[in-house]
Amino acid sequence: MNLISPESKTNKDTMGNIQLKDICRVFFKIGAFSFGGVYSMLCFIERELVEKRKWLSNEDFMESVAIGQMTPGAPIVNTGICIGYKLKKLRGALFVTFFQSVTGVSLSILLAYFYISAQGNYILKSTMKGVSCAVVGLLAAIVYKMARKTIKSPTLALFVIASFLALFIFKINAIYIIILSGAIGFFVFNKMKPI
Amino acid sequence: MLPMLQEEFVQKYHWLTNQEFLDAIALGQITPGPLTVMNAFIGYKVSGLVGAILAMISSYLPSIIIVTLFAKFYYAYKDSPFVDSSFKGIKAAVIGLLAAVVITLGRESAVDISTILIIVGSFGIIAFSRLDPTFVIIGAGVAGMLFF
Repeated sequence: MNLISPESKTNKDTMGNIQLKDICRVFFKIGAFSFGGVYSMLCFIERELVEKRKWLSNEDFMESVAIGQMTPGAPIVNTGICIGYKLKKLRGALFVTFFQSVTGVSLSILLAYFYISAQGNYILKSTMKGVSCAVVGLLAAIVYKMARKTIKSPTLALFVIASFLALFIFKINAIYIIILSGAIGFFVFNKMKPI
Repeated sequence: MLPMLQEEFVQKYHWLTNQEFLDAIALGQITPGPLTVMNAFIGYKVSGLVGAILAMISSYLPSIIIVTLFAKFYYAYKDSPFVDSSFKGIKAAVIGLLAAVVITLGRESAVDISTILIIVGSFGIIAFSRLDPTFVIIGAGVAGMLFF
């Protein structure tokens, strides 16, 4: 029984038509408009890449999110890097990293140059308050969509609920939850596969 | 990541005061994209433009290397029973984790009826329509500016 299979060939066929410059353009837009916190970007990525352009399947998207959470560093950045790699290997990863942050970084440097303190500005605060509320709604929408598409069995639902409780009630570190869910997943889902 | 940054930059090296560190966080939240752009601010404060660029490169380089290696390994072995089954569990867990984040953030933000309205409204628009999130963000920002 062969436990290891070669890299799936179908991925290469469908990914061929996506141009690097398109990737740059899209991630520039994503990086430029995702105000209000890190989860904003997740919603934009889902909209642009999964729904609008269909560059990623829902599966691919969820994998990238999972990988982003599992690796050290900012989860959203890592998710972007993973997507970039999936679409265009190392070059994709590098370009995505650059374009998803270039607007934010430039803005950040600009504001530092003029030393505009974000703390005291009243108008800015109220605007951002509205935006952060929107981001909560955005993230909730993404979770809702992902849940609808992924939870196909009671077992899976159990995993979702368990990890939710683990983080929310018991405050267990997310990394441990992920490792544990992977281990448990291996035992649970492997047994269900016909041999 | 934040506590680590605070330890290094404020307590150990004294490159930033605590207030400047808080400013950096606020800046990172106001600017679009990931929070890590605040590292550019810190880099800039310490060593100008070169510092900012170096800060960003060094923040991202390990991530790029690790994630690329991880992804390469993952996509090569993705169909193997081990990876496939464990990731089934992981993907489900990630949904639960994000749901927990939503509740936590929601509890912080939903302080009155207008905030709740914005949250529910954005959820509805994104979940059930094809509208670009950009408009939702801009709309919410304008609403925030006017009503708060």
